[in-house]
Amino acid sequence: MDGKVKKQKQHQQKHSGPKAEKKKAKKQRGSAEEDERKRNPKAFAVQSATRMAKTFHRAQDIKTRKHHIPLVDRTPLKPPPIVIVVVGPPKVGKSTLIRCLIKNFTRQKLGDICGPVTIVSGKKHRLTFVECNNDINTMIDLAKVADLVLMLIDASFGFEMETFEFLNICQVHGFPRIMGVLTHLDSFKNNKTLRKTKKNLKHRFWTEVYQGAKLFYLSGMVYGEYQTQEVKNLGRFISVMKFRPLVWQTSHPYVLVDRMEDLTDPDKIRTDPKCDRTVSLYGYLRGTHLKNKGQVHIAGVGDFQVSDVNFLPDPCPLPDAQKKRALNEKERLLYAPMAGVGGVVYDKDAVYIDLPASHVNQQQEEVRPTTELVQSLIDTHATLDAKMAASKVSLFSGSATLDPTDISEQSRYEKSVWDPKTQRERRKVLFTEEEEDEEDEDASGSSDDEADESVEEEDQNEDDLSTFLKEARLESTKATAGGGPPVKKQKLEEKEGEGGETEELAFADSEDELENSSEESESEGEAGRARDSGHSDDMAKSESEEEAEQGMCMIRFSLNSWALRWKEGLQQKASEAFLRQQEAAPNLRKLVYGSADDSEEEEEEEELGGLFRVSRPQKSKKFQANARDCSRFNPDSSHNWDLEEMLNSIRDCFVTGKWEEGQDAATLLKEDEELYGDFEDLETGEIHKDQTGQQDENDEDDGDEGEESLVKVDDEEVQKNKRLEKKRRLKERFDAEYDDGDATYFDDLKEEMQKQAELNRAEFEDVDDETRVQYEGFRPGMYVRLEISPLPCEFVTNFDPHYPVVLGGLGSNEGNVGYLQMRLKKHRWYERILKTRDPLILSLGWRRFQTIPLYHIEDHNGRHRLLKYTPQHMHCGASIWGPITPQGTGFLAVQSVAGTKVNFRIAATGVILDLDKSVTIVKKLKLIGYPYKIFKNTCFIKGMFSTVLEVAKFEGASVRTVSGIRGQIKKALSTPPGAYRATFEDRLLMSDIVFLRSWYPVSVPQLYNPVTSLLLPVGQKDSWSGMRTLGQLKHDLGIRNKPNTDSLYKPISRAQRHFNPLHIPNELQKALPFKSKPKQQQRKGKTPKDLQRPSVIREPHERKVMALLHALSTVKNYKRNKAHTLQHAKHKGFLQQKKKEEEAKLKRQKEAQKKLYRVMGQLDKKKQRSSLKGASQDD
Amino acid sequence: MASQGLSYDGCNFFRQRLVLATLSGKRVKIKGVRSREDNPGLRDFEASFIRLLDKVTNGSRIEINQTGTVLFYQPGLLYGGSVEHDCNPQRSIGYYLEALLMLAPFMKTSLKATLRGVTNDPTDPTVDLLKSAAIPLMKQFGIDGEGFDIKVVKRGMAPGGGGEVVFKCPVRRSIKPVQLTEPGKIKRIRGVAYSVRVSPQMANRIVDSARSVLNQFLPDIYIYTDHMKGANSGKSPGFGLTLVAETLNGCFLSAEMSSTPQGQGDPVLPEDLGRNCAKLLLEEVHRGGCVDSSNQSLALLLMTLGQQDVSKVLLGPLSPYTIEFLRHIRDFFQIMFKIEVQKPLEDERKGGDKVLMTCLGVGYSNINKSIK
Repeated sequence: MDGKVKKQKQHQQKHSGPKAEKKKAKKQRGSAEEDERKRNPKAFAVQSATRMAKTFHRAQDIKTRKHHIPLVDRTPLKPPPIVIVVVGPPKVGKSTLIRCLIKNFTRQKLGDICGPVTIVSGKKHRLTFVECNNDINTMIDLAKVADLVLMLIDASFGFEMETFEFLNICQVHGFPRIMGVLTHLDSFKNNKTLRKTKKNLKHRFWTEVYQGAKLFYLSGMVYGEYQTQEVKNLGRFISVMKFRPLVWQTSHPYVLVDRMEDLTDPDKIRTDPKCDRTVSLYGYLRGTHLKNKGQVHIAGVGDFQVSDVNFLPDPCPLPDAQKKRALNEKERLLYAPMAGVGGVVYDKDAVYIDLPASHVNQQQEEVRPTTELVQSLIDTHATLDAKMAASKVSLFSGSATLDPTDISEQSRYEKSVWDPKTQRERRKVLFTEEEEDEEDEDASGSSDDEADESVEEEDQNEDDLSTFLKEARLESTKATAGGGPPVKKQKLEEKEGEGGETEELAFADSEDELENSSEESESEGEAGRARDSGHSDDMAKSESEEEAEQGMCMIRFSLNSWALRWKEGLQQKASEAFLRQQEAAPNLRKLVYGSADDSEEEEEEEELGGLFRVSRPQKSKKFQANARDCSRFNPDSSHNWDLEEMLNSIRDCFVTGKWEEGQDAATLLKEDEELYGDFEDLETGEIHKDQTGQQDENDEDDGDEGEESLVKVDDEEVQKNKRLEKKRRLKERFDAEYDDGDATYFDDLKEEMQKQAELNRAEFEDVDDETRVQYEGFRPGMYVRLEISPLPCEFVTNFDPHYPVVLGGLGSNEGNVGYLQMRLKKHRWYERILKTRDPLILSLGWRRFQTIPLYHIEDHNGRHRLLKYTPQHMHCGASIWGPITPQGTGFLAVQSVAGTKVNFRIAATGVILDLDKSVTIVKKLKLIGYPYKIFKNTCFIKGMFSTVLEVAKFEGASVRTVSGIRGQIKKALSTPPGAYRATFEDRLLMSDIVFLRSWYPVSVPQLYNPVTSLLLPVGQKDSWSGMRTLGQLKHDLGIRNKPNTDSLYKPISRAQRHFNPLHIPNELQKALPFKSKPKQQQRKGKTPKDLQRPSVIREPHERKVMALLHALSTVKNYKRNKAHTLQHAKHKGFLQQKKKEEEAKLKRQKEAQKKLYRVMGQLDKKKQRSSLKGASQDD
Repeated sequence: MASQGLSYDGCNFFRQRLVLATLSGKRVKIKGVRSREDNPGLRDFEASFIRLLDKVTNGSRIEINQTGTVLFYQPGLLYGGSVEHDCNPQRSIGYYLEALLMLAPFMKTSLKATLRGVTNDPTDPTVDLLKSAAIPLMKQFGIDGEGFDIKVVKRGMAPGGGGEVVFKCPVRRSIKPVQLTEPGKIKRIRGVAYSVRVSPQMANRIVDSARSVLNQFLPDIYIYTDHMKGANSGKSPGFGLTLVAETLNGCFLSAEMSSTPQGQGDPVLPEDLGRNCAKLLLEEVHRGGCVDSSNQSLALLLMTLGQQDVSKVLLGPLSPYTIEFLRHIRDFFQIMFKIEVQKPLEDERKGGDKVLMTCLGVGYSNINKSIK
């Protein structure tokens, strides 16, 4: 063109005219959809009912599929750190990843990942990292406690068996969140293969976990660490992850132990290194509430009773709630005592300072005393005190020996101990049962002193540090023994001076006491507090009861000893309890639980062989111990129900009584009127005002005039409240109506659960922790310290922080052992089938144990038949003797936990069905006997039983022969023993074998052998082996079964068979027809000469004649044959002719008949017609 | 396995201990059973109770020493099913039934227990009382289903007995938490006046006298008369009355009274009995709460065995039996109740102090029920 731009015509908006109006109308109407529906109703009509039904169905399906059974949300407000388990085969980069993540979150570097590492990752997030090694025990334990699993996969190698094994373990024990992480991606040089591998691995991972499961890629290493950005991304993914509650975890308390201290008396260890240990375990409580004194299972060790639980201040607390975006450096905490982070750790009564162990140890090693004397001194296992105690002196020969214990009882209060093994300084508080006077103490103190001095002498060669510590300690002990009285002792004495009782208070029971205790708790530890609140109690008591107990003072003074003081307390308490009962408002909590606490004090004193705690009822209640056991609550005699005032006191309990403000029908009606009083009658246009409102207004006006302004303000307040109330009611009603249309059962249920969750949260919120713990147990999220007393020493000596210690709480019944029925299926990847009675290691609940299962299957008639082997691809039943675990719990089985084989290790999986020996497993037993006398259908059979009694038991039982003849056992015979008479449906042969098919019940072997893998020495923890299978035993011992000689192959030698001739009795022969008669078929012998016919020799003439005759007859025969064939052919032709003629004749006849019938028919018709005509004519 | 067991002295609260031991799976040893008395050892009724326990459980071990003063009980699993038991007539069937009510929801198969013996006597809660108060209470905890009922087939008064009761109960896997904090107002009073082997007029006389007291409060009173004859009337004569007050919120308060057993103590007039029983009901109303005094322990047990949620129940003053039961619950389940006294307001006329019991359930699940 010519460069000139042609101008486009501008759009002119119409402001008037039909178009503008149309647009205006459209704008005004606004909602176009409705309009469309109105304008074109056909387009929105139902086109196809089926289709509509289908769409509706689909929509409903999708909706319902989203539903889960609503559960009460029991997650605590301050949840414990999330457990992240990092799993993978060796050398895949687990430790590196943890290190990188920790560095990412806390900016700290950690060397060896030893035990769980807890970090604060965000304002509301804490994480605990645990590394899972390749041992299947560890994998099983950690799968049970994991919230999130980081599954590391070496992309350059592909999937390894461990990955699949772990996935399978997870599947059985509830499926935690699983995130795959691909490492070693930098080993791929070719980009295409990299992509392909990623895709392949991803899809395989998806099939195992779920479609779309997150798989993370860590592309390469930079200076031995993963790339910062990638680690950061991974950290983000972790912190936004949501977790679903797992059934087992939410119904059981558990602790992933992150710290362990040995509390055993070091002296005891020195004398007996293999003595049972007292150990305190620390960790965050997870799952659900843990009750004190409950039973726990330590995976890999066994079941134990917790002797004490305390909660400690959180070592890794979340930052205070402040409005800010990120954490500052101080708040990024890291807590990993097992990894040696942070040298100082706190306990409830001690502080532990960790010194670099290797350094001190080495020096000790070098300067080891060499002289034999010192060596022997060191090796003494008993202290001088102990030896003194053991030595006995007899003053006169033959008299009883005197023990030092007779003279004085040891009592120590404080002892600080150097534990050379753990390299820790600890202070230990020791109490003896009875307090002695000062002199004895002095004596014992001095003896202590001596002992310490001797120890000091031994240790003189030790390095500077330890000697310094020793000296410091020595000073302290000297101080204890000498002038400066120790603090704790002082307290005791104080108490003695007051003459009060020692009352161990479980919790503050009255409000004033609560205040007391809260005041004092700030200054002192809990032990002190309990005692102190006891003091205050005492004071109060002594004041109130001074007058009442004048007489008792005498006794009080006479009873000096500490041991007897509780009895006095009892008396006091009993009287006090009585007084309280008399009072109008008894302190019920004290009444119910308080007195029982005192009985616990006694319990500690009396213990029967560690088996039963003796709980003795109070002395004052002694008379009740054998009282009548009746739940009836006898009425209060002070109430006289004939009096009017008594009757009036319960008037409001009945519907006829006065109602509360919010429920009274009259007030409710009034309110309704207020709400709905005004209405307009649409038909008449009349407006009804509600009268009450007017009245109220009037009243208000009247009141306002007469009253002051202060009251007015109040009135306004009241009015405002009323309005608010009104609004609330209206809203409630609206909500109710509005929701009702859509409300479903599901919604109701959800709401109910929501309410319950709120109640659960709110109920104990304002109670202080000490008391709260009493009510609901230790709640998840708390950092707890569990003291467990008789632990095997191997747990401590062979402790390896690389192996996780999982402490799982057990339910009320789960501490027992019993029979379990389960459904089991051999894993399809496990190569062999499992044999009945072969020991199997099961992971069930918290436990891992070896047991002997019996496999069985249910027959059609409900019989449970024992199987020798598990079926290949089918479920079967299994019965074991094991720990009681709730039904529906999954389990997995492995054949051995030792070593890592190349094959898939998980042998079977299944679920618990029943906890009872309700199923009797039977196996088939065939008893075999032989007939020894046969009558018609009756037989005498021997060899099946050995006594008459046995036969008597089986009388009437059905038997069968191999050939299928059925029979019945009738009665035992006297001789031979065990023989019996039986009848059959047919006659037996002597060669028949009779058998009786019976079912023999099998008992489940009672083997329950917990896998104690944690007790094994360090480095051998993955080599636990329990009971061996029969096959293994035979293999190990080189025993081979002697084969059945019948089963052996032998050269086959077949003897020539001879058949006897058929013999038919003469009688029968006679009766037979000739055809069937046996012919005399013996070969003809040579006929004797005289019977032989002479041969004919013809003359020549005769020969000629014969030849002629022969020729003639041949000719004649030929002619005759020829004529015969001719005749035959002729006759054939004739027959054909005849047939043809016949057919023609038939045809003709048929036609003739046809003609005839037609004529006849016509005639008939005619006749009929004529007759009809005639009839009509006649009419 | 670490052995856990509890030990007690004396035979008081015998049933509580055995029932809680069975539910918690802990073994229990009871020593010094009437060891100081002339006639030491377990009584016949206690032996009968043990036998009943043995019938409903499977695999439990009970050892009693020669004199019967020491009892060791290792509980098995609760089996249930159809059970017939001849209860010792020293105590009424209520004694046995109270324990069965606690155990029945946690059995393997639903329980159908036929108990024979004394149905009504003055000491124990009678069968009628349990039927009218305990069953609706258990329904509040979600224990409901087909045939959940106590049926009095034959009535047998003390001391002869000869009554028969059929108790059926379905099994549950878990128990619902409850919030019974508001008893509501009493809307109706129902009752059963029974008489056996005496004139049928007796029942009518009881009804009249009871109504005369209760009519001051409520018009909606209906007391059924139940006169059993012939084979259904047991071996001893007697009569009695059970009254139940139902509130708007579905709580039941009950009271009862039976005539003194034949040949023991002074005979009572039916008029006196009716009046006294009505007063007992008033006493019960005065105590108040959502559960009546004889079923307190049942309610507390079901709260304890609930899911791990907070349950609340408002009770009247705690009976000594309940207090001991609370201690036992702490021994067996390590559960403590939060006990708050609610004092009535000044102008309120709703009887005496109430006690609000709050606890967190242990999360008990019926381990006996099998899954298929």
